[in-house]
Amino acid sequence: MSLENGKISSFQLSVLIIGFIFGASVIIAPGQGAGHDAWMAIALGLTEGLLIAWIFTALARHFKGKTLVEINSLVYGKILGNFISVLFIWYLFHLGALVLNNYSRFLELELYPATPKTLTLILIMLVCASSVRRGIEVLARCSLILVTLTILMAIFDTLLVVPHMDLHNLLPILDIPIGKLLWTSHATAIFPFGDAVAFLMVLAFVNKPEKGRSAVFKGVLIAGLVLIGVAVRNAAVLGQMNPIYTYPTYITAQVIDVGDVLTRVEVLVAINLITMGFFKISVAYYGAVLGLAQVFNLRSYRPIILPIGILMVILALTNVSNTAEMFDFANNGYPIYTIPFQIAIPLITLLVAKLRKLPQIGGEQA
Amino acid sequence: MIALVLIGFGMVALIQIPGLVRKQWWRELLCFAVLLFMGLILSVMISMGIEIPPVTTIINETITGMLGM
Repeated sequence: MSLENGKISSFQLSVLIIGFIFGASVIIAPGQGAGHDAWMAIALGLTEGLLIAWIFTALARHFKGKTLVEINSLVYGKILGNFISVLFIWYLFHLGALVLNNYSRFLELELYPATPKTLTLILIMLVCASSVRRGIEVLARCSLILVTLTILMAIFDTLLVVPHMDLHNLLPILDIPIGKLLWTSHATAIFPFGDAVAFLMVLAFVNKPEKGRSAVFKGVLIAGLVLIGVAVRNAAVLGQMNPIYTYPTYITAQVIDVGDVLTRVEVLVAINLITMGFFKISVAYYGAVLGLAQVFNLRSYRPIILPIGILMVILALTNVSNTAEMFDFANNGYPIYTIPFQIAIPLITLLVAKLRKLPQIGGEQA
Repeated sequence: MIALVLIGFGMVALIQIPGLVRKQWWRELLCFAVLLFMGLILSVMISMGIEIPPVTTIINETITGMLGM
């Protein structure tokens, strides 16, 4: 019995991936370590991100209609397969908690300084739990509306800051050591593009599995191009100050002032974060809940939605001591920590499946 | 604070448990109970002011320490 009866189209998958990649990156500008060359780091990172997407979509194409947990059981057997699945579920769970943490830190620093962090976390989690309960179809339909609005808002913000842009701020190009550029681009490939590996738990529900890969590529590519545009805009507006700010996209929108009438538009950026972060948390949350239900062979994943959500809120509350540690992890630890989950598990599983000549037609699975 | 935590967890249990018992989904009930109990213990610890080790910081320090970054 399948735990998820919903089906999504390849177009919905693309849009959901765009929302997922925007997630926290609307507010935590990727590639910031490269200063005004951030756009170049994102472009290089996008290339590596597409390579990561190629690997995990190759695995999904090899085992059509199966989630990573089911694939692991087939390829490695029950015990080792479940062990690897639990590691991947931990990654999804941790990813959701990290985004929740970013989310609540941003809201606490910029919008609701007097509101307890626990309350914002619980409210966000309840919304995500509700969407996970309703299944992947509902999440995909939401993405069509909210991602379109976010892209429109990003265009609106960009048009309004055009008078404040100075493209000379992007010069000189390649001002940083090549090693630092490559490291930053790798960090960008991992976060946000590589995080799309979470879709290994979703690709099984695409109604035309053969279109899954092109849908993932389109989603990653469009999100990457928008992020490059945002990076160019931020660098052109903020200049040398760009790398100093914690949330440059938010600060860039603060510059907007149309005849003293249209000001404080930065709240639009906050809305973008809240809606896109919702997708990233929900997809990671959905993957973790569905994966755990499959590992324990449950008849429905719904009973464990709330307990997992509570544990995610607890991890989000306690996982780092302060914002500086959070950014240190994002820039240094995270690009290495995620390699086993984003690259090694899908690649090794694919190679082992090819060596074992799985899936066997008419055999244990087809 | 602890009373609020207990009320919250009690509500979650009240929402889920009757349905699971009615359907006789014991495996699902066990899974739900274990996870909820873990959440309850950790929540009570937080509300009592007991510090829980920051997992992400530990992971970051282990990785950067191993690689000498």
